[in-house]
Amino acid sequence: MRRKHFAFVAALGALVLLAGIAASVTHGKSEKGKQTAAPSGTVTLAGWSVSTVESALLKQVIKGFERKYPRIKVDYSALGDYDRAMLAKFSARQPPDVFYVDSNRAPTWIKQGVLEPLDSYIKKAKFPVSPFYSKLMDAFRVKGKAFRVKGKVSARKIYGFPKDWSPLGMQINTEMLAKAGIKAPTTWAQLRSAAQRLKSRNAVPNGKPICLAADWARILAFVYQNKGSFLNASKTKATVDTPAVKGAIDFYLSLMKADLLDIPAKLGSDWCGEALGKEKAAIIFEGNWLVPYMVEKFPDVGYKTFPMVKGKQQGNVAYTVAYGIGRNSKNKEAAFTLLSYLVGKVGMKTWTSKGLALPSRKDVKPVAGRAAFLKAAPYARPWQFAAGFDKVMTVAGNEFSAVVEGKQTVSAMLKKIQDEANATLRRGG
Amino acid sequence: MARSGRGLGSERVREALVGYAFIVIPMFSFLVFSIYPLFYALYISRYEWGILGKIEPLGLENYRELLRDDLFGKAVKNTLLYTAVVVPCQMALGLGMAVIVNQALRFRTFFRAAFYFPSLASSAAITAIAIFILSSDGLLNSLLGTDRAWFADSDTALPSIMGLNIWTTSGTMMLFYLASLQSISTDVYEAAAIDGARTWRTFWKITFPLLKPGHFFVLVVSVIGSLQLFDQAFIASGGGGGPNYATTTMVLYLFQTTVQDFRFGYGAALGVALFVLIFTLTLIQRLLFGRTEAA
Repeated sequence: MRRKHFAFVAALGALVLLAGIAASVTHGKSEKGKQTAAPSGTVTLAGWSVSTVESALLKQVIKGFERKYPRIKVDYSALGDYDRAMLAKFSARQPPDVFYVDSNRAPTWIKQGVLEPLDSYIKKAKFPVSPFYSKLMDAFRVKGKAFRVKGKVSARKIYGFPKDWSPLGMQINTEMLAKAGIKAPTTWAQLRSAAQRLKSRNAVPNGKPICLAADWARILAFVYQNKGSFLNASKTKATVDTPAVKGAIDFYLSLMKADLLDIPAKLGSDWCGEALGKEKAAIIFEGNWLVPYMVEKFPDVGYKTFPMVKGKQQGNVAYTVAYGIGRNSKNKEAAFTLLSYLVGKVGMKTWTSKGLALPSRKDVKPVAGRAAFLKAAPYARPWQFAAGFDKVMTVAGNEFSAVVEGKQTVSAMLKKIQDEANATLRRGG
Repeated sequence: MARSGRGLGSERVREALVGYAFIVIPMFSFLVFSIYPLFYALYISRYEWGILGKIEPLGLENYRELLRDDLFGKAVKNTLLYTAVVVPCQMALGLGMAVIVNQALRFRTFFRAAFYFPSLASSAAITAIAIFILSSDGLLNSLLGTDRAWFADSDTALPSIMGLNIWTTSGTMMLFYLASLQSISTDVYEAAAIDGARTWRTFWKITFPLLKPGHFFVLVVSVIGSLQLFDQAFIASGGGGGPNYATTTMVLYLFQTTVQDFRFGYGAALGVALFVLIFTLTLIQRLLFGRTEAA
């Protein structure tokens, strides 16, 4: 008797399951039927949003696009928890047509085959690549076949166009700077003496002269300044376990040991921008994102942005986000039309008009007061490693925090990161 | 006697059908969303598996990597340490509170609600508030007169999460214990009172041993919950499991592997390892508590 009941339940379950499968199969078929040749129809656009002002700006750009291309309608949505949301859409093979691609995510997304190579579209539309800052483009290019666009040879596959970017700058509280009676430092040695002066004059009574997180996303700028790097140029080997990298870390630790620098958590802050706002630090190293933050949260704190200090050479990290197209996009022609407008001269001008982001095109001028950032454009290297490097960076971050706590030596940390990075590179992500 | 055997059977069949009709939907979702993924994870764990599916078969390589993986070792160590501290504390606190609110106190309902209250708040919200309270210029430090950044220090990050979870979940444990306490017959207590047993002795000799099924249930729920620690560790460390790996738990590492690095095969192997760990520990608990009492 029991067995019969079970068979009944099992049969019912199987029936429901089958119905579900049948429904999904027919659904898939009807999707495939809708193919359009000319760029028209609806294009879905997805990204994340930091503020309502930013969303409004993007909607303004989209309106401009729809006026120019009345046959294409744009369906824009700002996704929360972006990476996770995109993962779900990619694996369902229903990605948005056009979407944000963070430089740091790009290698993994490219390797996993979810991004569409744009070369043929670029060629067809004769869309010029040269106005974009070359270092930023590099974050979205990988080795591929050479092709010509407007007479210029592009030797690599392009998976996205940067929509904006920011390097790090050096922000200093102007009042504290005046109290210490010094000029903004331009070299490592000057940075140390400026911090000493700020300390001896008690210019930062509630904090430390410098706020700098034990974070590779900040320290890497100093590594570059010290002629070091994380990976070799072809991204086939780790170069972390080298004297140049050790020198940058040692410089950081020596400032910390001399009581001239601290991490934001020790200054009662989530990040150094907050420490600057709370007047718990005089000198911080942040990007253009600090500007709207300070206007909104700490409008009364006077500060100025200077170019990043220089070590053996100029060095900086470029944070950039591109627009890419999903390989499983259903309307790629129209998607590229939208993409080329968003990163085009007109679209980018509107997008960067309020100074929330810096233009990634040389032919679009940023709003006033951003000169200190733009100086880094020729040498700032994109915040990017290789496919599958999230774990390496997790290890790197944890090791770094152990070093700051005095529970790990710099050499042991660098060796560990080097081994982890090489293992990931060998595995290919 | 008048009823025939057949008639009895058909009534039983009807009753059974109604019963199965009630469970068919939960059973279906259990099969589709729990049992099927479980076996699918076993399958995936033998492949290199990306966002768009299968990349290449690896056999047992993912499991071999697991044994070599330093970070996995750290995650297991942290998770077990967390479980070893949190489970006894949760049980003791839950039992203590249950015994208190089981007495004929004034405002008994108020205390029951108050003790249970922390369990209602979402762990994400509580962790977010804890970040403020435990920050270097937060409430706790002003009370203690220190300036420790509790979550940013590898010595205190995990203990902070332990404290947080002991506080929030002991209310649920109290509820389980309360139900068990109320199932103990008052006759036993009356007999003990006649024999002249004092409160303390009554608790240790009567209440505590008679709660054995309750202990087993609370222990299993608490151990499973502790081994699955994720949200607090994720939020407090910003997803990195730091500082110095202090908040890297097994589930957090699983999350990092799958959702950030898209290594679904390796992530599935991690999940299987977690399953084996939970299953073994539950089996041991069952053996310790004996089979009959556990039922």
